[in-house]
Amino acid sequence: MSELLPERAVLLRDHVREAAAGLRDAGMEIDRDPTAVDRWLHLPAVALMRGCTVPVEYVSSPLRIGPYTYDMSSCLEHTLTIEELSYGDAGFMLACPGPLMSGVAVGALGDDKQRHAYYQRLAGPEPTWTFFGLTEPGKGSAAAELETALTPDGDGFRLDGAKRYVGNAAFAQLGVVFCRRAPGPLGIEAVLVDTETPGFRAEPIPTVGMRGARISAITLDNVRVEREQILGYDTLKPSRRGLVGAIRTLQRFRPVLAGTALGLTRAVLDHVRAERPALAGAARQCLDDLQDRLDAARWHNYAIASAIDAGEVRADRIAAVKTRAAELAERATLAAAGLLGPGALLRDPWLHKVYRDARAFEFMEGTGHIQRLAVFQGVAKGTFLP
Amino acid sequence: MTALDTGSPATAADRLAAFAGALDDCHERAVPGGVVVSPAGWAVASVRRLGDGAPVPDGSGVLAARHGPRASDAAALGTFREALLELHRRTLRGVLDAAVARLDRRESEGVPLLGRQLVRGSVADVALALSQARDVLRLPRPTAGRHHRVHRELVDAGRTALKLYGAFGFTAEGPGGLLHLTELLGDTYLYPEGPEDPEAEAGHE
Repeated sequence: MSELLPERAVLLRDHVREAAAGLRDAGMEIDRDPTAVDRWLHLPAVALMRGCTVPVEYVSSPLRIGPYTYDMSSCLEHTLTIEELSYGDAGFMLACPGPLMSGVAVGALGDDKQRHAYYQRLAGPEPTWTFFGLTEPGKGSAAAELETALTPDGDGFRLDGAKRYVGNAAFAQLGVVFCRRAPGPLGIEAVLVDTETPGFRAEPIPTVGMRGARISAITLDNVRVEREQILGYDTLKPSRRGLVGAIRTLQRFRPVLAGTALGLTRAVLDHVRAERPALAGAARQCLDDLQDRLDAARWHNYAIASAIDAGEVRADRIAAVKTRAAELAERATLAAAGLLGPGALLRDPWLHKVYRDARAFEFMEGTGHIQRLAVFQGVAKGTFLP
Repeated sequence: MTALDTGSPATAADRLAAFAGALDDCHERAVPGGVVVSPAGWAVASVRRLGDGAPVPDGSGVLAARHGPRASDAAALGTFREALLELHRRTLRGVLDAAVARLDRRESEGVPLLGRQLVRGSVADVALALSQARDVLRLPRPTAGRHHRVHRELVDAGRTALKLYGAFGFTAEGPGGLLHLTELLGDTYLYPEGPEDPEAEAGHE
């Protein structure tokens, strides 16, 4: 697969692969106690996550490998980084401090001053966790239907509403909240919120798996918002702001999420091979089939991410690769339990963990049903199948 | 009989407790006063019934597992497997019914989500799997291989059902924890033995 990637991407991948090598124990601990990431902040993987998408001019010692310098603003390089770290442990990667999705939103919508303040904070000496607050209790992630209200209040605004299924929110210092300033699609805004602001509350939601994601519920009760916290308010037209930012962020991040699922899948298949080196017959065919699907999906995901870097954002293909990756992760973990024999889930705690983790990809960044609608649109327009 | 049959208990903890009680009923039917041990030496039951063993590492705290050398006899295993599959089927039926009720209440663009064709198709797929499982389990001369195949189909149908819940299906409060236990129990007890090669059965369509 290296021959499909530019040299700088291959060097980055190999570097991150090394950093991801020791993450399983940490991931197991975080599965038992999601606050345990605080004990692993010294790991190189954490430094990588903290620096992902932070421009090099803000970072005291940016990542340099050979002749190249990296900030992972490239979708392909971000995707490769996340895939490799997820091979180590997806839950650990998601528990890390750093910009993750909020950084993509700030990069897409923020004005110079907003971006500067955000990146300065993320690049500071203390680890900073962030969140991306889009999904709401009654409406899921249907951005156009969100109800969290941004209401004028004196010389600023106040924010009222609720968000649900938001990674890291209960542990974050700041994040992006999508909200409604006026009716209709042009009335949506993205606001940068400090979690110390009075009226902001977030609680973890216990989950079946992927506990490192630290999925949370947010309550916003009369949270004060200054005009300068509204991303792009003074520099972008309403038609280029909130909703566009949500969609652009989701599109840009879907290959990255697909990388998470594919990294986990690769780890599972390697685990099966290590535990059952002599698989034969139908079992061998099953494993080979999964490997083929994985290789094809990885190649396709790199192509999609490279296309995004080239300015070609194809919603149908992005939706498809995310869906394929999510379904493959589930399929691979189900198959692994079968291939490793009776009682594998009780006998093999790591398998049991990734088996539970893999179900998270189905709903992250939009459910399979929503993605299928995007694929259908591509079929109908004649753009999805060449 | 579990609370899933007669209206779902109010909280996830109650539902998990009811499930653990129903699992113990399966054990009671096969080994009165005891627990059934799988051919690979595993026993999984409620914490109370098992007495010792480690908590099953799913985080729910309702089931415990123990590994030992002696498997239960074939008759007890057969009885238990049938009871376990029936519990799996009933559990999935409860999850499906609750999904339908929930989707009828939730709206998008002013229309209940239950009106969406993709949603209706998924509901129908799960119902078809439940119906087929019921019929296959009624066939004479049950085998371990048949039990395993039915289990796998119920697992796949369960995954389809959970997708109807979105992220809620992944929370401890949602149905995902219950269905995870049905999967784990099948992985423990429902592997075919003897001439049927478990590895040949691996993988899901």
